[in-house]
Formats: sequence, C-alpha cells, structure tokens
Amino acid sequence: MSTGLYAYALTRDADEAEVVGVNGISDAPLHLVDQDGLSAVVSEVSLDEFGEEGLRRNLEDLGWLESVALAHDRVTRHVAEHAPTAPLRLATVFLGEDSLRAQLRQWHDQAERALDRISGRSEWSVKAYVDPAADDPAPTEGEPPKGAGAGRAYLERRREATQRREARAQSWASTADELHEALASGCVAGRRLAPQDRRLTGHTGEMVLNGTYLVDDAGVESFRTSVEAAAAKHPKVRVELAGPWPPYSFASLDEPGTT
Amino acid sequence: MTEPTTSRTTDRDITGGLVSRPSGNPANEPLQPVALVDLLDRLLGAGVVISGDLVISLAGVDLVQVRLHALIASVRAEMVPR
Repeated sequence: MSTGLYAYALTRDADEAEVVGVNGISDAPLHLVDQDGLSAVVSEVSLDEFGEEGLRRNLEDLGWLESVALAHDRVTRHVAEHAPTAPLRLATVFLGEDSLRAQLRQWHDQAERALDRISGRSEWSVKAYVDPAADDPAPTEGEPPKGAGAGRAYLERRREATQRREARAQSWASTADELHEALASGCVAGRRLAPQDRRLTGHTGEMVLNGTYLVDDAGVESFRTSVEAAAAKHPKVRVELAGPWPPYSFASLDEPGTT
Repeated sequence: MTEPTTSRTTDRDITGGLVSRPSGNPANEPLQPVALVDLLDRLLGAGVVISGDLVISLAGVDLVQVRLHALIASVRAEMVPR
C-alpha cells in the first residue's frame, strides 16, 4: 500500500517534541518536515484513501469528510497552541517528502508573511441573527373592503406587503454592515463569510452576518467589549461570539501581504 | 436577547487544557473546537478543495455542497438532544 503525506498546517519555531504522541487522521502519528525554517505538520495517509481517485470518492462520503475535518481541526489547534500556525486546506496531500520540501521552498516567502500576520492572534466568529417573526411590520389595519373596490384593495395590500419585506431585508443588510464595520475596525482584520443555511446549523431566525475576525490575543477583552457594544446598539439582533479558533480564514498563502 | 454568548466547550483531549499560545499574553484562552459547519466553511473555502500534489477540480462542487447539507443535518440530529 503506497502512502502519502497529509499536511495539516505550516508553522515555524515548532519543536518536534510538541507533536510527539499526538495522532492525526486514522490515528497516524504526527511529525514535522522542516525546510528553511518552515515546518509542515504531517502524518502518513494511505493513497488508496487520499490519492486523486480515493479523494474523489471519499469527498462524497459524509462520514469520511467529517472525520477528516475534525482531525484536521484537532491537529491544527494543538500545533497553534504552541507556535504560530497557518492551517492548510482540507486534504493537502503530498506524494512524498521530496515534493513536500520542494513545495515548502516555493511557499517560503508567502508562508512567512502569513505566519507574521497571524502570530499571537486568533480567529473569532461573530454571527448575528434576526427573528423575522418579531420584526414583522404591522399588517394594514381595517376590514378588507367588499364589492367593487375589493380586487384593487387586494392588489394594493399585496404591493405594500412586498415593499415592507424589501424594506425589512434592506434594514437587516444595513444592520449587518454596521455590525461588521464596527467589529472589523476594532481588530486586525475582518471578513464576511456567506450566511449559513438554517438547515445546516439548526439556528432559529435569519442569519444576517457570518463574520470572522482576526484578533490580537492581547486585544481579546476589548474585542469582546466591542461585540457587546455592537449588540447593545442593535437590540433586535441576536449576536453570537465564538472562539478563539486557529486563524483558518486569515492564513491563506495566496493572500496579498496586506489584509 | 442581545447578550453575546460565547462557546466555551472544553477540549482537553490533546492539549490537556494547560498550554498557552506564545503570545506573551498570560490571559490567553485555549483554542476552542470549531463546529463542523464553521470548519467546512473555512477548510473548503470557495470550493477549493485540494492543494499540494493533488489537484482535483471538483466540477461537482455543487454536488459536494448538496451532500454537505445532508452531512450537517445528520450530524445535527446526533448532537442535538431532542
């Protein structure tokens, strides 16, 4: 059975001793591959499972995807507790150590910049929800007219209802913009991800903001305060803060040096 | 409800909860496990799945997305006691 190397993350100043005893995917032991001051955190994986063909098949296997994603997060968090860590994409697989080293040489400058950017910082998620039922504008009052005017009145009400819905969506969008701007200005970098579908998360209400923020470890308290202040300013919105997480959204190697 | 809530799931399986990140900040909090849906948001990004030696362009990204819906629904069913 041929094997490849699954790379979880790039790091520097890490000590192999810190990953000894930690298991990765399929309980394979972790180790570091060092190249020019940069280290990749890897474990061996079967190429039956993680080769091109295997991945094509397995990425559609939900249980497989889940277990790989959770192992990826577990390893990344472990390494990130010890040293600046740039998480790699899911299923970053190398056919051997030589090609990994070649890639590390090629990634070197971008990786150094990414590690500089996230060093001593973590990712925090802020989601904001509105409750459409509670935010439902009052329907038009009064008895529906009868007789000749009824059809016209009906169309009129329909038109007004559409306008109210549009106005409400507009107001949610600007609330989300305001929240995001307030939070992003109080941290190193902020980014908006697509709001998640309620069917995936089981949340109640409507997610209007799925924001993610890179926060200095020393600035966590002030970030919390700004989240609370932003939430207090928008009483109709439910705000959820989660973290700290490894800097998944802020360590891309293909990102320009500025955020 | 305007109070922000913080997820503080304790995760001691590998870190022992005793380590701190080298930021020079004594109040450092241990990194928290990321919920699967948030993790996939980030690890799969905009449908870019593979890097390294293997390049698989998933023309079927849509398919993966659809299946993710099912995945997360099933995960949720297991996690949410109802």
